[in-house]
Amino acid sequence: MRGWHIRGWRVRGWHIRRWQTPFARVGVGLPLAVIAIVVAAFGLSHASDYALRVLSVAGIYALLALGYGFIFGQAGALSLAQGTFMGVGAYVSGILAVRYGIGFDAALPASVGLPVVLALLVAIPVLRLQTHYFALATLLIGQIILLVVTQWESVTGGANGIGGVPPLSLLGHVIEGRLPALLLVWALVAAGGLLAWQITRGRLGDAFAVLRTHPVVARAVGIDTGLLRLTAFLLSAAYAGLAGSLYVHAIGVLSPDILGFPVMVTCLTIAVVGSRLRVTGAIAGAVLIIELPEWARFLRDDYLLAFGCILLLVVVALPGGLIEAAEWLLGRVWVAPPVAPRPPLVPLPAAVSMCRSPASDSMLLEVSGLSVRFGGVHALDAVSIRVRAGEVLGLIGPNGSGKTTLVNAVTGIYPPGAGRVVLAGREIAGNTPHAIARLGVARTFQAAALVPEMSALDNVAVARGAADVGLGRALLVGLRDSGRRRARAEAMALLERMGAAQHAAAPAGTLPPGIARLVEIARALASAPRLLLLDEPAAGLNGTEQADLARRLRSIADGGVGLLVIEHNMQFLVPLADRMACLDYGKLIAAGTPAEVQADPRVIEAYLGAPAVPT
Amino acid sequence: MAASQLLLEVLALGAAYALVALGFVLILNATGAVNFSQGDMVMAGGFGAVVLANALHVPGLVLLPLLLVGMAALGVVVAVAAYLPLRRRPPDAVFISTIAVGIILQNAANHLFGAEPMAAPPLLSAGRVRFAGIEVSIQSLAIIGVAALLIVGLQVLFVHTQFGRRLRATAQDREVAMAIGIPVDRMVVVTFAIGAALAGAAGLLLANAFFVTPTAGADYMVKAYIAVVIGGWGSIPGAVAGALLIAAFEVLYPSLPLLIPALLRMPQSDAVFSQTTSTIMLDVAVLIILVARPGGLFGEAVRQRP
Amino acid sequence: MSTPLLEVEALEVRYHTVPALRGVSLTVGANEAVALLGANGAGKSTLMKSIIGLVRPAAGRILLDGRPLGMLRADRRARLGIGYCPEGRRTFPGLTVRENLAVACWGSAREREHRIAAMFALFPVLGQRAATRAWQLSGGQQQMLAVGRSLMDAPRLLLLDEPSLGLSPRLTDEVLGQIPAIVAGGTSVLLAEQNAAKALAVCTRAVVLKLGQVVASGKAADLAASDEVRAAFLGG
Repeated sequence: MRGWHIRGWRVRGWHIRRWQTPFARVGVGLPLAVIAIVVAAFGLSHASDYALRVLSVAGIYALLALGYGFIFGQAGALSLAQGTFMGVGAYVSGILAVRYGIGFDAALPASVGLPVVLALLVAIPVLRLQTHYFALATLLIGQIILLVVTQWESVTGGANGIGGVPPLSLLGHVIEGRLPALLLVWALVAAGGLLAWQITRGRLGDAFAVLRTHPVVARAVGIDTGLLRLTAFLLSAAYAGLAGSLYVHAIGVLSPDILGFPVMVTCLTIAVVGSRLRVTGAIAGAVLIIELPEWARFLRDDYLLAFGCILLLVVVALPGGLIEAAEWLLGRVWVAPPVAPRPPLVPLPAAVSMCRSPASDSMLLEVSGLSVRFGGVHALDAVSIRVRAGEVLGLIGPNGSGKTTLVNAVTGIYPPGAGRVVLAGREIAGNTPHAIARLGVARTFQAAALVPEMSALDNVAVARGAADVGLGRALLVGLRDSGRRRARAEAMALLERMGAAQHAAAPAGTLPPGIARLVEIARALASAPRLLLLDEPAAGLNGTEQADLARRLRSIADGGVGLLVIEHNMQFLVPLADRMACLDYGKLIAAGTPAEVQADPRVIEAYLGAPAVPT
Repeated sequence: MAASQLLLEVLALGAAYALVALGFVLILNATGAVNFSQGDMVMAGGFGAVVLANALHVPGLVLLPLLLVGMAALGVVVAVAAYLPLRRRPPDAVFISTIAVGIILQNAANHLFGAEPMAAPPLLSAGRVRFAGIEVSIQSLAIIGVAALLIVGLQVLFVHTQFGRRLRATAQDREVAMAIGIPVDRMVVVTFAIGAALAGAAGLLLANAFFVTPTAGADYMVKAYIAVVIGGWGSIPGAVAGALLIAAFEVLYPSLPLLIPALLRMPQSDAVFSQTTSTIMLDVAVLIILVARPGGLFGEAVRQRP
Repeated sequence: MSTPLLEVEALEVRYHTVPALRGVSLTVGANEAVALLGANGAGKSTLMKSIIGLVRPAAGRILLDGRPLGMLRADRRARLGIGYCPEGRRTFPGLTVRENLAVACWGSAREREHRIAAMFALFPVLGQRAATRAWQLSGGQQQMLAVGRSLMDAPRLLLLDEPSLGLSPRLTDEVLGQIPAIVAGGTSVLLAEQNAAKALAVCTRAVVLKLGQVVASGKAADLAASDEVRAAFLGG
């Protein structure tokens, strides 16, 4: 079993660099936490009531920001409803406490549950909208709730709110005193932070990375992007509800201010300043931002003005946030010697299972009369092709003739206007891309779409068993994460199969295009497809590499997988393909053996054309 | 009688909202970026008008050019601080940076002027006129007049001047625009200046009709955003249409019991037809439109081939 | 011998660490058309973008009339007399044909009208659709519009990046067939093309790129007859 080493290559862009040192893996979190605990141990007993209250509020905002990290950080969607969810949780808990005497803990199912239900109702129509519409939708929901609450005086106390909210209570015991309340809040922050870390550190975190960087690729690999975004949104609402219910009991007063935009701004500032992708960032950011007006007295009245300036400065100058900047800084100072990773616990399988149905020579893909239109233009016009299991079909044609459109239509990115697409006897036209991917269709893209910050190995591993990745499994993942280790081991085998194993640890953004393409093919193989669609796999490879790739593709086909290969490079394609088809202007103009197609006069005219008449 | 009165109210309010939306859609067209501080720029314009009026004691029409120049300068500052450094980043970076600018403007105004509402002088005069049986304030007529002028002016700019055509080209393909000689960054800065000037004009007019407070900008922002979304993202006529639709809704919905007296007998009719409920209804209607037809009622203005 | 119009010296371009162009040198003289040939991914578009300034080289120089372009921005280079017709046409979709042409002309209104009329003479179908928005045009018409747009400011050097993309052979002939007329009008042309035969027919010289390096150059007629070029594209 081969080991693999982290090499010390120099790249531009600090966001790639941070993956290189073990310090960066540990992160800034652990040292910060140690410092915080030491400071707290000495300082808390002497702190004033007021200071303790501010620190409690900081903890509450840390919870809010932790939740926000799921939707804004992991899923990459700018939601402006986080403050609203917190407010809803506050109102539910406050009203239940004041009017019905239900304590903080007994009310939790409602104060956390109602924001989640609200998020669910809202998410279904709204999450799939593009950024500028999604932001507006979440903004409007916030406005609606704020107005409803201020109108509904009988229940919510209207614009004046409700006073006399009892303090936190646990199992019937009221928690008197600021210090115990503070400890409860921060215990919940610690629990929430650990949960967030647990959810995102494993393969679910990798799936999110693909989702926010290349959503099309995520679907092509079988990740259910809609479900993932929904999960992130619901988690953010749950954390916000908890934060809200803590807040109202800690402060003792329920007021519509909690539903106002300043809360959302504070949350956004914390997330941006503290690094939206880091658990440490949410916590450290919250402490920094909430404590700031206390340290700089003159800011007290104009703290929002300060937040605005800080937000602007950080967005422009430090886009990753403070924690990522700190990691980079420490990474530069502390460069570790190369480290050989521990070998995986699971022994490498002799041959990673590649195909699902060993039946050869059966009709795998049948496309009949497929048409795709964009406006008035026929990108594909009644195209019919067939691919058998174990066969390589080469698809050629001038640029713009519809080759990539055909692959996009087969993989579900474009709904076909007319015609049928049948995979192993099953009609798949009109299915969603991730459903088609899970039926055994895999593809590569014209521009290798790998996640630049993730290693080549992880890019492939994320596709291995993408259907299994979900919240439930993420929660159960042990410290050793055997699922990920197995996925990585299998990914390694796939990389070896494609001849790219020596680049496994390199961040994908640094790979030369030829190697990136090989990694992409390995990723496509990771989902054990029956049908593999390759878009210009040989581009950027020299002669030797091309011959090598052709050999590997041949062996994949021999294993029972059907291949459709789009290529311009005849030297590469002709020896490899069993049959060829040529598109021109969206129409199929020739099909048959490579020799037949190459000699077809229509093909020659389409590609080379008769020479232009010189004047 | 009442109907034509209402119609005029709708026109005046719609014209005011259209002025806010125009600056927003201009910047959107030229940069592809959402300027979340547009509403707060309107507020800044309003306060600027108040300050100038207190210093100079001249009618609004004289203040207008001075205000436009000042606001244009503000637009340049915003472009340089919040847009230019972020032009290669994903769109939500500019969203966030302009949210930040809006917060800064709002709280600076709060710091300087406090929360009390202030009024700017009218553009022409404070009187009312009567014609065709309708009584209307001169300020409302001024708003409609200025808005109509600016809308036409903007259309002319975009369609009949090289500068306007180049602005549209920059918005549609920045790279190619550069390659044919268009100084793209300079275009963007000028666009922000014009957008801010439009906001300033809107602020001057609105601060007389509706008073101005530091938090007034947020409301205008949401209205402009809604107008642009329902009118079709990027379309100028669409933004104007959207603004009029919002105004119509805001004027007509609370007036429903006046038009249909039977509604007065509804339980809690004063709450159901209050301004607040009207806003809630508007938001719900927009959400439904977003879900059912995200391209807006008239479709997105710039269509892309996949 | 006068200085050539365009000189590219040992140009190196990298995307992150990946080399896209390695030590590429070529020249384009006044009143000549030079073909830049190569397969997909050979670096033709990258070279074009470097000349117009949309991509910054890691090493090497580009000189226009003997004057190094250095770090000049793209819009400044365009105003110095370089016309650029990008790969994939990229007309401004929401602008009409006339507007697409107009925005590229930096002269007076009269000069603009004059140039637009000249473009309509070159490509009559554009004149017929002068008020149509560009996104509604067919691929071939958009290509003609893109070429016309790049000529509006009477450039001395025209960079044509794969104009035959997605065009039928007949349309390709129409577009490429205008190149001699363009050269006769005083504009040198650097034509990047995959369609070697057609490109060699309208150009006097040619340069062949492969994986970012120049592998052959010389007179167009010589290369047209060479087996090497044939093999590079069709195999066998």
